[in-house]
Amino acid sequence: MVSMNLADLFIMAIVYTNMVNPTITKEYVSYFVFFAPGLTITALFAAAFMIGREINMEVRREISHYMLSLPVKRWELAVGRVLAGGLRGIIYMAPLLATTLIITYIYTSVFPSLLQLLTIVVALFLISIGTSGLSIALAVSTTSFEKYITARGVVYYVLFFCSTVFYPMDLIKSALPQLIFIAQYNPLSCGADLSRAFLLGNPPFTPVMLIDIALFALIFTSLAMTAYMKVTQK
Amino acid sequence: MISLRKIWTVAERDIRMFLRYKFLLIMRAIWFVSQIALFGLVVNRMFRPDVQTAVGGNYFNYYAAGIIITMLYSTSVFIGYDIYEEADHGVIEYLLSVPVSRKELVLGRSIGGGLRSFLYVGPMMLFVLYLIGVSSFLQLLVALLSLFLFTFGVAGFSITLAVSIKSSDRFDILMGVTDALIVRLSTTLYPIAFMQYYAGIASVNPLTFAADLFRWGAGIESTALTPPLLAVLGIVVFFSVFTFLGIFLHERRLEGGGWQ
Repeated sequence: MVSMNLADLFIMAIVYTNMVNPTITKEYVSYFVFFAPGLTITALFAAAFMIGREINMEVRREISHYMLSLPVKRWELAVGRVLAGGLRGIIYMAPLLATTLIITYIYTSVFPSLLQLLTIVVALFLISIGTSGLSIALAVSTTSFEKYITARGVVYYVLFFCSTVFYPMDLIKSALPQLIFIAQYNPLSCGADLSRAFLLGNPPFTPVMLIDIALFALIFTSLAMTAYMKVTQK
Repeated sequence: MISLRKIWTVAERDIRMFLRYKFLLIMRAIWFVSQIALFGLVVNRMFRPDVQTAVGGNYFNYYAAGIIITMLYSTSVFIGYDIYEEADHGVIEYLLSVPVSRKELVLGRSIGGGLRSFLYVGPMMLFVLYLIGVSSFLQLLVALLSLFLFTFGVAGFSITLAVSIKSSDRFDILMGVTDALIVRLSTTLYPIAFMQYYAGIASVNPLTFAADLFRWGAGIESTALTPPLLAVLGIVVFFSVFTFLGIFLHERRLEGGGWQ
């Protein structure tokens, strides 16, 4: 996955920079600089989403029953699983965030202030645990492997591609106007745009980005914990 | 004397086994739909007019054709993972005990690995051809025959690596890195004219030959494509090298265990 993320940045983004209409990315220096924060989000999302597959396997094979025999309370188990998924995303994303900070500094000579950096990290952490929660909620929603994979795939790729990770919001508005609602409130869009707001100055930061991310984390963490505790008791 | 019937028996087994990989089949299908219906449509609006002209007038068609080749590649390499799965469960030793020669085994696996990929991607290929439109069925036939060889070559490549390394962790890492680089260092996603530093590698990449040949077969008229004769030659060389290398290594490395 690391090689794929780095290849996306240092090969695909560089080639796309030679092809992209400059009027689309002039606010962001170039497509390469625009994409770098988005890549951080994709890495975080992919890593945090993985936990669902493991939990689905545990539920299908009833390994969760063994987990209940451990001297750990149910809510502690649920919180631990959601947190673990979130931390995975953060740990995996950290070197890519560092790479993004270096790249944006080289191209813009701007380094975010401590408060801005902290806001980015907190936002990314919230996206990570929200993603982990979403993945766990999906994983425990069905014991049918085929239904789980299908639901997982649809949610994963819709969130992934219907976001501003790869392209600005204006392009999504013109190409996929039917999906603009998803793109605007997609936590990946909010995370990517929040990072760009502090690293590149565009798009402008709005509190809605943080509120969206916080709500996403709250809703799916709660849902995942409730669903996980319920399923492990069956 | 190689028996075609035995080769087909081995190939048929691999084709049937493929249906067990529900996770891969479903996820790849959803990935394909999201590439065509989401990413491709948006990215098409991102590029300059000269880029659109260079790729035959419509980047979306260019990209959709490239996605097919990516799908063919990623499903063909899976035969290598099958080999490790079988090594884990002792099936390799069983296969070595059946009345099938080593050559027949590796040829059957290459053909099975490639054919199942082609069968799986076939409907998606038809859909993309429907989107692009086909101007010459003869060109398309030549392209499809070459893509058959391409998938066999990729399966042979995966088998060659699997039996050379004999360590599932190292194979996983190597295939991950190879997958990441081989797709992005080819013309599956973008024409070679805009690849600058990477154009040299891309010009000898078998995915470049396969992608440009498929586009030529579908009738995409673009100066950016590799000449079809060169592309066919490139695929034949790729297929020959990895099939024969696969046979050579399979005969010498498969026995004696040592799988990690």
